[in-house]
Amino acid sequence: MSELEDIKLQALLQSMQLDSPGEKFSARVMNRIFEEDSVFEKIKAERVLGRGFWTILVVFVVLLAAMFFMAGSGAQPQEETARLLPQVNETVSNSFNSFFGKIGSVPLSVAGILIASSILLFIDRIISSNSKIFAS
Amino acid sequence: MEQKDDIYYIEKVKSGETNAFSYIVEKYKEIVFSIALKVLKNREDAEELAQESFIKAYNSLHTFKGNAKFSTWLYRITYNSCISEIRKRKMNFASTSEIEIKDESEELNLDGIPAENRAQVIKQALDQLPEDEYTLVLLYYFEEQSIEDIGKVTGLSESNTKVKLYRARKKLYTIISNIMKDELYTIL
Repeated sequence: MSELEDIKLQALLQSMQLDSPGEKFSARVMNRIFEEDSVFEKIKAERVLGRGFWTILVVFVVLLAAMFFMAGSGAQPQEETARLLPQVNETVSNSFNSFFGKIGSVPLSVAGILIASSILLFIDRIISSNSKIFAS
Repeated sequence: MEQKDDIYYIEKVKSGETNAFSYIVEKYKEIVFSIALKVLKNREDAEELAQESFIKAYNSLHTFKGNAKFSTWLYRITYNSCISEIRKRKMNFASTSEIEIKDESEELNLDGIPAENRAQVIKQALDQLPEDEYTLVLLYYFEEQSIEDIGKVTGLSESNTKVKLYRARKKLYTIISNIMKDELYTIL
């Protein structure tokens, strides 16, 4: 196959008219792009944190504050137990106190795990619902 | 110059002028559509696939850094979309084995084809080429893409692209030769 023939083939191919898509092809592509852009803009305009989230957060903070202020007041659990259950023998009373004593050491680690997993789930939800924003 | 034009319009699109993308669509719609049509063999499906290719390109434009030619990048998206569609439809890229390459094709003189028939004969011959070789011929001769760029589009190595292109060219000559013989028999 000579180089000359190759050049001729190229000239021949370049003179050929390729198949064209329909007349409105470009307009259709651009319309689709504009549609997708408007959806993207809508997603961007949407608030990431909805009203529900803020309500729950406010309730949670209020409860936490209430617990904090009320923690010092009232009778101590041990005294309360003794007052409420004066007739119960010592074994039952000790078991009761030891059970709540053990529970008292649990919350810190459990709460840590729960809060961490909640935060991770929350971040995951934000990212997955706004993947387009994070992609750009 | 063409690459500079592309970069200019791409930068415009990236800066928020979505309308500038219509230049890209207008410039490349025929070649993108031709590849899709060759693979899907149906105008409606080909238009759909070409449209999807442009939208994919638009959505991924932020990943285009301008290190390679934009056309290479766009054709790669189109080619991959075609392969995905073929897999989805459980079709195959047509094999070239059924066309026997003859040595006499080396001797074919393109000037021997009557001028008024040339375009028609070439189109007829291209239609008979399998999808992968059609794409190689189209990119190399029509789009003047380098072997390296064609390799990037098709995912073939440079040496493999060269071999395949050589075979495609010989096959094209064989097909043209056969078409010419058939025409000659018809006349006689």
